[in-house]
Amino acid sequence: MEMEQFLQQMINGLSLGSVYALMAVGYSLVYSIMNFSNFAHGGVIMVGAYIGYFAMTAANMPFWMAFLLCGVGAGLLAVLLELTVYTPLRNRNAPFLYYIISAMGASIFLENFVIATIGPTYRTYPQVFSHEPFRLGSLSLSRIDLMIIAVAAIGLITLVIIIDKTKIGLGIRASSFSIKASQLMGVNVNFTIFLVFLLGGILAGFAGMLFGMKYTVYPTIGNITTKSFVAAVFGGLGSLPGAIIGSVLLGIIEVLVSGYLSSNFRDLIAFLILISILIIKPTGLMGKSSEDKA
Amino acid sequence: MSWYYIEGILIQCGYVLMVVLGLSLLTGFAGLFSFGHAGFMAIGAYVSAICTTKFGLSFLPALLLGGVVAGVVGAGLGKLTLNLKGDYFCIATLGFGEAVRLILENWEYVGGARGISGIPWETNLKSVIIACAIGTLALMALVRSRHGRSIIAIREDELAAEMSGINTFRYKMIALIISAVYAGIGGGLLAHYMTYIQPKMFQMVKSTEYTIIVIFGGLGSVTGSIIGTFILTFLPEMLRSLDNWRLVIYGLAVIVIMVIRPRGLMGGVELGDIFRLPARRRAAKLAEERIKNMNGESAGEEAQR
Amino acid sequence: MNWKRLIGLLCAIMLLLSAVPVMAEEPIRIGWIGSLTGDSAVFGVNESSMIKMLVEETNAAGGILGRQVELFTYDTKGDANEAINATRRIIAQDKVCAILGPNASGQCIAIASVLEQMKVPDISTVATNPKVTLNYDEATGKFTTVKPYNFRICFTDPYQGAIAAGFAYDELNATKAAIFYDVSDDYSSGLTQFFEEIFTNKGGEIVVKEAFKSEDVEFKAQLTNILAANPDVLFLPCYYKQAALIAKQARELGIDAVLLGGDGWPSDQLFVMAKEALQGAYFVNHLDVNDPTFAELKTKFETKFNIPLDLNGFMAHDAYVTLVAAIEKAGSDDSEAIADALTEVTVQGVTGTIKLSKEDHNPIGKEGSITKIVGDGYEFVMKYGLGQ
Repeated sequence: MEMEQFLQQMINGLSLGSVYALMAVGYSLVYSIMNFSNFAHGGVIMVGAYIGYFAMTAANMPFWMAFLLCGVGAGLLAVLLELTVYTPLRNRNAPFLYYIISAMGASIFLENFVIATIGPTYRTYPQVFSHEPFRLGSLSLSRIDLMIIAVAAIGLITLVIIIDKTKIGLGIRASSFSIKASQLMGVNVNFTIFLVFLLGGILAGFAGMLFGMKYTVYPTIGNITTKSFVAAVFGGLGSLPGAIIGSVLLGIIEVLVSGYLSSNFRDLIAFLILISILIIKPTGLMGKSSEDKA
Repeated sequence: MSWYYIEGILIQCGYVLMVVLGLSLLTGFAGLFSFGHAGFMAIGAYVSAICTTKFGLSFLPALLLGGVVAGVVGAGLGKLTLNLKGDYFCIATLGFGEAVRLILENWEYVGGARGISGIPWETNLKSVIIACAIGTLALMALVRSRHGRSIIAIREDELAAEMSGINTFRYKMIALIISAVYAGIGGGLLAHYMTYIQPKMFQMVKSTEYTIIVIFGGLGSVTGSIIGTFILTFLPEMLRSLDNWRLVIYGLAVIVIMVIRPRGLMGGVELGDIFRLPARRRAAKLAEERIKNMNGESAGEEAQR
Repeated sequence: MNWKRLIGLLCAIMLLLSAVPVMAEEPIRIGWIGSLTGDSAVFGVNESSMIKMLVEETNAAGGILGRQVELFTYDTKGDANEAINATRRIIAQDKVCAILGPNASGQCIAIASVLEQMKVPDISTVATNPKVTLNYDEATGKFTTVKPYNFRICFTDPYQGAIAAGFAYDELNATKAAIFYDVSDDYSSGLTQFFEEIFTNKGGEIVVKEAFKSEDVEFKAQLTNILAANPDVLFLPCYYKQAALIAKQARELGIDAVLLGGDGWPSDQLFVMAKEALQGAYFVNHLDVNDPTFAELKTKFETKFNIPLDLNGFMAHDAYVTLVAAIEKAGSDDSEAIADALTEVTVQGVTGTIKLSKEDHNPIGKEGSITKIVGDGYEFVMKYGLGQ
């Protein structure tokens, strides 16, 4: 029983970690180029969840179509935010805090816009996957969890390929090293930033829809992204593999703390880990060295 | 408008102003950003409320004790995190604020999630006016003193300040401790106005709200912070009849201000300067420079032009 | 502006002024405050919509004491300070004679001092913390006097926790109970404390006690521990969103304990979100679902607003009818007379017969309706009060 309980907890941690990962990658991607924490990301995830919900219920779309629409919709929203909010700030060379505050303004706006127009009611996706989980002995893994792990894996691998192997990716990597220098080298920085927001937004849309299917849809979904933000810092802000590893580790740590220490202190420990990591190694597990970021 | 209603909002302005003044020193003058000041408020509120409800201490010493404890905790936090670079310090304070709230939620002695009730109603218009007057004068005196100029020098250019013999860590620490004391006293005032506190009241959103006020009022301006507090506390009350569209407009307003007038209402300028026009122009120019400089420090790579 | 227009304007003003005395009597002003934005907006919107509908009905039927009713509603964002501001405004500026809401204990406790200063009564809908109507001395840990202007329509945390524990031990014959509660929520913590106390006093054992936080959606880590402890009954003192998600995840993990909840549960969303997982679960309810007034009110509300009617709406209904009765009894809209009348009237609400006690301003002898989830609906099991 002890061993099974432990294995079950590891499964729980992995599935929780993959939810965080889908969200954290968006944070990290934007951070790697823009050097600020995009707190509007939670709002984009929430809108994504609603797009998917209405596509499947009001427009009766099949799952896959709704899923794609979600990605496109959330991607466009992220780009729209970039163009209307961040570009003017960028043109003015505003300090990073202005970006953070604007992002928080945007997330207050999105959240309450949805409450005012759609309403605060919890909504539930129509059933796509059977509720009956896969079982092995006393262990269980629900179908939606498997789906999330798969989407997280495929999405993130695709992203890594784009960034590592394509010319566009080279632009992103160059810009994340130094925007000024890469511009001198002929990288179209505006396009690169546009692309980063689009990619981050698409992943946020997927994350929103899967989150909505696994749990439920409501206007304050964005609050959960504080955790994925912690995960991104944990792994090293601005590093994609770091965000993924950080998320999975945070998922497992949370599960182990609530499983073996005390569920009351789960979040406290998560935040203490955050602070200790910042003190010991501010750049996180896989972050760029602080010299780069100075 | 009835006076009774306005009085309530003014009292709210009062304790918000205490926190904002402290934050103004930290953010506007020392250039450090905190998302954890709700944590200091919580400490001040809980310490003073425990003193008055459980130990029968009177209001004033309880309030001061709350401020002192917040300051001591601030010193501890500063010792650990002040060496971190800009945005990482900001993240550390976020973690700190949440950690304080989580500890309070799990601590049965202070009622856990159910909080402390039956706190005597001591905060009135008179007490907040006195607190704010003392707070404002003390802050004004500090930023105009030699120490104040050292703090500003750190914001302008930390390296240069260090070179010219300023102990940057020490001055950052002073700014953080003073701002924590202000936040603690603000929290104590809040507790004795609400007569009830629970951990839920000190969420991260609160810290963000106060930082928004400082930026709205203008970095590096004490009078700007005061004006900002009044406008941003009254604004949501003015919009009250809009029900749930209220926060939509608030969110939009925050974005518009950031995009259109990034140096805030009074960036780098004090109210008195407005009457001395040439000085004002000079100060405004300085403010623009400062914002560029800050940018150079924290996110220099973004410079595109 | 030329002089012709000026005269025209003056005439118009005169007309308006002369129209005032012929107008009917001043309306009776009442207020509602609560969360219309933020995390608990879903509950606040339910309450305010219900009261809006009832006020319209009252006015269509000729009003109270022959006077029309005017309703003012303000958002509190779920924030205690906002609640104080809203209360100050609604009393001093809008001059209401009584307030309904707000929909959380923390806000109700915070506005008490304003109510006392202005001598205006407030009937809270779902604020279950004992401290809402009673003063509490932190130094001695004892309740002292009743707050003169705070009333409530729901039963309290201790009462409800005791009902749930008593029912679990006596009627479900459970000896091993697990508690899974929201550590960041005062309602949930309150229920937990009293459930634990009563269940252990009766001879039962709390085999495991786990916690989560309001915004959580993932519960499997704690549930895995609960599974290992193998309880007879799993007590979930929380709102329906968490109850549904927990039930679903508990069944996925293979927990087969009987699920037991409080009055945060009843909602149509519960079925939409986790119908299968909740089959056979029990909860303590305020109302008897077989009562025809229940279904009638529900249909009326849902056709009008197109949002599901939750328990908050029902409680708001009862708070409103109690207030109307008190105004009629007082014979005027004098707020102190209404405060006195509130403990005098006996009203038939959807959640039972309501009579507020003079001693603690809580409803007297309100029994919990133990309700079971069967198929697509609720099944009334039994009335269960304390002392059984």
